[in-house]
Amino acid sequence: MAMKMSGEYTLPADRQTVWEALNDADVLSASIPGCEAFEKVSDTEFAATAVSRIGPVKARFKGNVTLSDIDPPNSYRISGEGQGGVAGFAKGGATVSLADAEDGGTILTYEVDAQVGGKIAQIGQRLVNGAAKKTADQFFQNFRKHLSPEEDAA
Amino acid sequence: MSDNGIGARVTRVEDKRFITGGGHYTDDLNRAGQTYAYFLRSPHAHANVKGIDASGALAMAGVHAVLTGDDLAADEIGPLPCGWMIHSKDGSPMVTPGHPVLAQGKVRYVGDPVAVVIADTLGLAKEAAEAVSVDYEELAPVIDLESAKTAALVHDEAAANTAFEWELGDKAATQAAFDSAHHVTTLELSNNRLVPNAIEPRAAVAEYDAGLDRYTLWTTSQNPHVARLVMSAFLNIAPEHKLRVIAPDVGGGFGSKIYVYPEETVCVWASRKVKRPIRWTADRTESFLTDAHARDHVTTAEMALDEKGKILGLRVKTLANVGGYMNLFASSVPTYLYATLLSGQYNIQNIYAEVDAIYTTTTPVDAYRGAGRPEATFVVERLMEVSAREMGIDPATLRKRNFIKSFPHQTPVIMAYDAGDFDAVINKALEIADYKGFGKRKRESAKKGKLRGIGFSNYIEACGIAPSQAVGSLGAGVGLWESAEVRVNPVGTVEILTGAHTHGQGHETTFAQLVVDRLGIPFENVSIVHGDTDKVQFGMGTYGSRSGPVGMSAISKALDKVIDKGKKIAAHLLEAAEADIEFADGNFTVSGTDKAIDWTSLALGAYVAHGFPPQEIEPGLKETSFYDPTNFTFPSGCHICEVEVDPDTGVTDIISWTAVDDFGVVINPMIVEGQVHGGIAQGVGQAMLECAHYDEDGQLLTGSYMDYTMPRADNLPSFKIGTTVTECPSNPIGMKGCGEAGAIGSPPALINAITDAIGSEDLAMPATSESVWQALQTSALKQAAE
Amino acid sequence: MPTVSMTVNGQAVSADVDARTLLVEYVREHLRLTGTHVGCDTSQCGACVVHLNGRAVKSCTTLAAQCEGAEVTTIEGLANGDDLHPMQEAFRENHGLQCGFCTPGMIMAAVDIVNRHGNDVDEQTIREELEGNLCRCTGYHNIVKSISAGAESMGS
Repeated sequence: MAMKMSGEYTLPADRQTVWEALNDADVLSASIPGCEAFEKVSDTEFAATAVSRIGPVKARFKGNVTLSDIDPPNSYRISGEGQGGVAGFAKGGATVSLADAEDGGTILTYEVDAQVGGKIAQIGQRLVNGAAKKTADQFFQNFRKHLSPEEDAA
Repeated sequence: MSDNGIGARVTRVEDKRFITGGGHYTDDLNRAGQTYAYFLRSPHAHANVKGIDASGALAMAGVHAVLTGDDLAADEIGPLPCGWMIHSKDGSPMVTPGHPVLAQGKVRYVGDPVAVVIADTLGLAKEAAEAVSVDYEELAPVIDLESAKTAALVHDEAAANTAFEWELGDKAATQAAFDSAHHVTTLELSNNRLVPNAIEPRAAVAEYDAGLDRYTLWTTSQNPHVARLVMSAFLNIAPEHKLRVIAPDVGGGFGSKIYVYPEETVCVWASRKVKRPIRWTADRTESFLTDAHARDHVTTAEMALDEKGKILGLRVKTLANVGGYMNLFASSVPTYLYATLLSGQYNIQNIYAEVDAIYTTTTPVDAYRGAGRPEATFVVERLMEVSAREMGIDPATLRKRNFIKSFPHQTPVIMAYDAGDFDAVINKALEIADYKGFGKRKRESAKKGKLRGIGFSNYIEACGIAPSQAVGSLGAGVGLWESAEVRVNPVGTVEILTGAHTHGQGHETTFAQLVVDRLGIPFENVSIVHGDTDKVQFGMGTYGSRSGPVGMSAISKALDKVIDKGKKIAAHLLEAAEADIEFADGNFTVSGTDKAIDWTSLALGAYVAHGFPPQEIEPGLKETSFYDPTNFTFPSGCHICEVEVDPDTGVTDIISWTAVDDFGVVINPMIVEGQVHGGIAQGVGQAMLECAHYDEDGQLLTGSYMDYTMPRADNLPSFKIGTTVTECPSNPIGMKGCGEAGAIGSPPALINAITDAIGSEDLAMPATSESVWQALQTSALKQAAE
Repeated sequence: MPTVSMTVNGQAVSADVDARTLLVEYVREHLRLTGTHVGCDTSQCGACVVHLNGRAVKSCTTLAAQCEGAEVTTIEGLANGDDLHPMQEAFRENHGLQCGFCTPGMIMAAVDIVNRHGNDVDEQTIREELEGNLCRCTGYHNIVKSISAGAESMGS
């Protein structure tokens, strides 16, 4: 089943800093909720493992993450495809765009399109949108913490 | 009538074990050294399987095997067959590409099995399945039935995803009838896809005995002999004498357990490979994905009438979704089990049906309670009701005007109805439902702000699925007779071996009632043996409401033989002429004398064999019959449903439900009523609650009881049941069968009632509160009120 | 593996089980009491209903470890020796079962309904209370009738 979602975050860093973080495997690894492994295969490709829980279905997704349509320091598309074993599969991507905010920060907007199949769709379908939204929120919370660790301390 | 003979409300013999937890279902088995199978299934509706890497799983301790379609191919196992040949209009045979037991190169629905993991525990098998990686190359899914002909190919061999384009009836004559019509009613109907949902999930336990070189399979089957035949003759697993199939207590079937599925096939085959017994039980999500689904038709239906409401012709064009593969009996369902019943209870001279069977990347569709006949009844009875409304004729009157009144009656669509009295049925139903008082009740509902509606459905079905020559001429790959063996023990107790299988129908009770009635022996001296290919020589199983009319008829014939032999023996023991021996109430007597021998003494005499010459009579008392009837049986009935709809919410309450059925001779009214209750509930489920929904990618969105709406106790009223009797002339008992009638007759009654209430015909099944509310928004009734 | 002990049908039992073992697995696989059935995996069908300290629970969503020290009654423990419980008798008398698969859960739920609502529980209440138990065979008509009859005889 397919789903779409979009959102916007204001981040307390300039556009170049945000862009670099978005391309930093360690930052991405630390930001992806449930990330167990995130290895750089090339500048634009990563091998990832993440544990995700959708309603009653818990799955460990193994797959590839690819960066494409790269337009530094403005936008890229981050897409991935993961096999969750008997739980099914998830795939999709997000187009992430950056713009300068008035206060010197950066406005990040994203548009996600994703598709899930197998048991996740069968049992967890009514929860997929909620789970995806929560995952995105967690990702950007983690990402924001990385950009302004002092906020976290406060 | 004896206390527990034919016609008595005998409480069931089988109940004792079920109400005390003493049933023996397949999943209850625990064989020494048992391992567990877990099937890895496709999460994609349509994909090429580029590779399967099982090395990680195989490295795990306690994992015995990971097997795939390649392993099956290497052993030349499969494919799963379709047992009913259909020819297209142009004479070409249907296109049924192979249905591999495990995917070979391609998957065609979400849930299609790709590999099996066999391990010491179920938990380990599941963990090992996580370690198997399958490389899928996704292909475009084919989900929407109406556009499937122009979509990607599900099977390369089936152009336009079409298995066959079939027709029945006289096209030109039917066109002429429409040309001369005063009124034509046209409806676009869909018959929603259902999931059978027997509460016991499918299961299998398989064991290979190397010493005997013999397999045993315990499985949730409605027809263990057919399962053995298919596995032996078509799947090449083992010859029949090396394979024993046992169907122990089975927790409901409704058609879904007729078929031979990949899972039990794999378990039998793999039990020899791993040298250990293997158990597999579906979890409910697997049942949703892999039990053969049901119905799923889209139909344009037309009826032509003259100015008095006499039906001149009926025409349908139906698309039938068969899913990803043509299942075992799938081809017969939308053809000979559907279009042959389009005459309903009515004298219609011109009928023409066209049916296209279409492959899609969804779960295979096959027979489910009613199988084709609910679809036919829905077409005919929606057309009747809407025609009556359009022509301003009372719906009961329009039906009566068109009833067939003399029998036998040859319809233009193969069937020759042999008996019935449709006026008697509807009159009784009208009385029980208090049709005359409906107007008053409607006004009372209106005072409460509720919309009240009443709906009819007059069904007829062809069941007792049998006559072998007839079904053979229509394409069936097997004969559909039934066998019975009557074993009289030396002490006079009787064991009946039957090829029918009971999984809720109460055969252990009703079959015994027949024996008690015929032999006059105590009820507790009779036992029914079924469901084991080592005990019962052969049989075709239970489906199509056939166990009574066909299975019991076979018992009746075998009992005749036993009584005949008993008379021969009695003649010797009583020193009388055989022609003078009479048998009644368990005693053989010499007519006109007081000489008699009772049943027990005669049975012992047959085995002691001291009292008759061996040149003339063989010792023992055991007889067999293979019974093949000369016609289908034709149960008929009338359902009247009354509903109240809340116009603000669309919520429908079923206020009353009347069903009057003519099942011919009834063996046990209590059990027959129970069959009708259950059938109505499944029909109400179809009409109001249930539907298998796929999203555009082919993911099953209604894949659990959280999303697939099963009828629950508070969705249903208590039912009012009546019966009328015309005896079936084609079998020795006069019975017609009752298992499917409720599910066949009920859906149109409910839809006719709701559409009557809301004043709109634009209502598809399932009529959920939301769709009823939507239909109300555009109904004339609503617009008139505003 | 932890040891889980409880009283099942009046007998003290104990088994070393995986911590994730469900009560239904404990009674079916470890105690071999197979009258309690599993009909679904989302806690909807009610085929697995047993009594835990006198109240109906779905044993498919109860961990065995939660039942440490508890009193559990399964369908096998409902009759008093050869004397059927009135609710079992009512199901037989009223044809409240067909295939028998949902029956153990139905009967255990039915006894609990009567315990909570009394011997004169009405049809509508019975239908609403059966929300958690699915039957595909009977259309519920005779189950409701059985529970009404069983409720009455439980009081006499």
